[in-house]
Amino acid sequence: MKSPKEQPLHTRRQFLRTSVLGGALAHTVPLFLEKTFLTLDAMAASTSGQYATGKDSTILVVLQLAGGNDGINTFVPYGDDAYYKARPTIHLPNKEILRISDYAGLHPELTGLRDLYGAGHLGIVQGVGYPNPNRSHFRSTEIWQTASDSNRNESRGWLGRYFDSCCSGADPATVGVAISGQTPQAFASPSPKGVAFANPEQFRYMSESAGNPKEAERLMREMNAPESDSPSMSGPNDGGSIGMISGKVDKEGSTVDFLQRTALGAEMSSDQILKITRKTKSSVNYPTTQLGNSLNLVARLIAGGLPTRVYYVSQGGFDTHANQLPSHSGLMKDLNAGIASFVADLKAQGNFDRVLMVSFSEFGRRVSENASGGTDHGAAAPMFVLGGGVKPGLYGAYPSLTDLYQGDLKFNTDFRSVYATALEKWLGAPSEMVLGKKFPILPYI
Amino acid sequence: MDPEARFSYYQRVKEAADEEQRKVLRKDFTRTDREEILSLRVWWLNRMRYTSDPLREKTTLFWHGHFATSNQKVKDAFAMWQQNETLRHHALGRFPAMLKEMSRDPAMIKWLDLNQSRRDHPNENFAREVMELFSLGEGHYSESDVMEAAKAFTGYRIDPKACSFRMDKKAFDPGPKTVFGKMGNFSGDEIIDMITAMPQCARFIGRKLWTFFVAENPDEETVSGVAGLLLGNGYDIGATLGVIFRSEGFYSPKVVHHQIKSPVEWMIQTTKMLEIPLPDTLVLDNALSILGQILFAPPNVKGWDGGRSWISASSLLYRYNLAAYLLSGKARILGGGKGVTARVPLDQIISPGERGSRMLLLNHLVFRVFNAPATEKESAAYLDFLTNHPTPFSDQTILDFMQTMMSSPSYQLN
Repeated sequence: MKSPKEQPLHTRRQFLRTSVLGGALAHTVPLFLEKTFLTLDAMAASTSGQYATGKDSTILVVLQLAGGNDGINTFVPYGDDAYYKARPTIHLPNKEILRISDYAGLHPELTGLRDLYGAGHLGIVQGVGYPNPNRSHFRSTEIWQTASDSNRNESRGWLGRYFDSCCSGADPATVGVAISGQTPQAFASPSPKGVAFANPEQFRYMSESAGNPKEAERLMREMNAPESDSPSMSGPNDGGSIGMISGKVDKEGSTVDFLQRTALGAEMSSDQILKITRKTKSSVNYPTTQLGNSLNLVARLIAGGLPTRVYYVSQGGFDTHANQLPSHSGLMKDLNAGIASFVADLKAQGNFDRVLMVSFSEFGRRVSENASGGTDHGAAAPMFVLGGGVKPGLYGAYPSLTDLYQGDLKFNTDFRSVYATALEKWLGAPSEMVLGKKFPILPYI
Repeated sequence: MDPEARFSYYQRVKEAADEEQRKVLRKDFTRTDREEILSLRVWWLNRMRYTSDPLREKTTLFWHGHFATSNQKVKDAFAMWQQNETLRHHALGRFPAMLKEMSRDPAMIKWLDLNQSRRDHPNENFAREVMELFSLGEGHYSESDVMEAAKAFTGYRIDPKACSFRMDKKAFDPGPKTVFGKMGNFSGDEIIDMITAMPQCARFIGRKLWTFFVAENPDEETVSGVAGLLLGNGYDIGATLGVIFRSEGFYSPKVVHHQIKSPVEWMIQTTKMLEIPLPDTLVLDNALSILGQILFAPPNVKGWDGGRSWISASSLLYRYNLAAYLLSGKARILGGGKGVTARVPLDQIISPGERGSRMLLLNHLVFRVFNAPATEKESAAYLDFLTNHPTPFSDQTILDFMQTMMSSPSYQLN
């Protein structure tokens, strides 16, 4: 689809210039705003021909499969007798497997992924995990979200650290959007950036509850506007009335200053996002699943020119302890349908080459099935990397089904190598700075 | 589920005829635990809302963040409640006694795998966290201190029938351990005594107390001052807080109204300030989870980071909308649902005189809402608002006015 050539945020920009900062803009605009204005100017300028700022910049979509996806029945080692032996009742029928190699193939529902592989847009990283795997959903998810060693506790998320080190000063929706009610831990940071919402209509100030909504909206904006001589610009001030003074003045300014900046960022993000989602429609039909709705929203935000470089979506329900054949097939079907629509949409927009999608789950599942026709929590599993810029192929090695660690596949590729590659080769960020360590770069880009 | 019910559940699982039956039992168990932890959360929030001893509840919340035990792993609402009562009991008492009690706390024992620590295979998780997170901080102990101290915490077990501590003497390592350069046949309690005797422990706890109750990033002088108090009074937390609350630093304009309210503080203060009960369970629970503070489920062993980490573009907008919801009762604001909120009892809060006078209303509401004077800019905007509305002020005007006040950076501050 083609997005209308609109002028994103034109009124917002006028509003900022005229009513908040006025003439003082040139001298005292805080760094944060200055950058925002650069973005806005770029957006305004882009209306002459193109609709997307950062139209040349790459986008990362992180897809979480929550609950511990059964990697073995996702990328199936159909050529290995040990597979049928370990899973007498829940192995997938050999002839239905979508062949990728002589050894392994995709779950029969993953036809869209098979086609992507055929077209050269899908990479499968095999045997991904980390040393001393943890089998708790809670803890292992935390390890994946924070990219920490399993014996260390890290509260900042890996994307939060990326935002901190690479995107300071940008407004929040520019750095990252999570389609979720709660901000994912991957975005966590001492001063969180990025925005999270399940429904864009909820990500705005609900002034209509007031008797006079227009007045409420105006006042909210006024009360949240950064001071033109904000404390961070004018330096410490220990006297005066409370609220006028800054607290400890550090490089990020006082707490009030921080809140004002966040509020302004929220307003701008909200305006931007609503404007886009209300106007932009997809030309492609999406499945009406959680993942389908989320990816539809992401595609519209990309089409509408939101200059965001990191999106986060998730699909739940992968904790398949019992009778998993039908339930896992359903999950694979939803996953496939969601991704296929998203890819078709991005291609129609002409944005497919800009997007890299990386899927992950907190762990794979035990090689052997359990007594309930399901699988218990395991360790290593494959990850999908897909997009116009991906070098297709298999990365890492399929772990042995018989040489196991406590009944689980041994990992051979650290998940942080997958992250490091996305950071370094796709987002152009220094991965060592973000991840705290150097991890080998994989050739999937 | 009390220990007996839990015990009988384990029995039933053991005796179940087949896996299918076990599955049903497990599902039932998980659902029950989820319901119980939710009702525990609401119970505690109501206790905070209505207690006559708010300091004890706030300090209990401080210790909950300090010991940061999550039911996501413990999966035992009864044990979480027990821990909560233990924290409340010791909240304003002496820290070394509390730390010993926590090493025997069933929820903690599950949380940090102490029940798996035995003589021939000590589990280091608790020994590490007791130093890193509960008392000293990183860099003030060695790896070998952790490994050796782990031996002293072997044999700590839970009696499932009573959900209480028991010592498994056979699993305990009574032999010599070398910790902090001293050798001896130390017990777990003796390790805790050695830890709390270290000035670094007092600095660590002092810094955390100041950060939680006063302001982030206390200077060295402040930290040393609080540490000195703690070492001098045997870590009497109540007495120490008493001195802090009477200190000049506590009233410094640099710290007053500069601390960001945690979501729980926001919720409790707001409902008290509006003189309404807490919202419906589902609205309440959903709101605190979106705002990032789920009681009995801190994000990780370090607890909540607090401060600016509470605020993102999304959570700030949500705070504003939550205020609008509590004032207006319009469920649509939070995305629909059947939540009902009590009407703000304006007739009780606002006197007829205040309805007729801009200045009276302004003064009352500024102090009610912010507990601090407004800035010049705020005062001007507020007066402007009131000037544009006829007296006597209608309920709607007053509610709109309060919504404006609460949808602001100032309202997020303590």
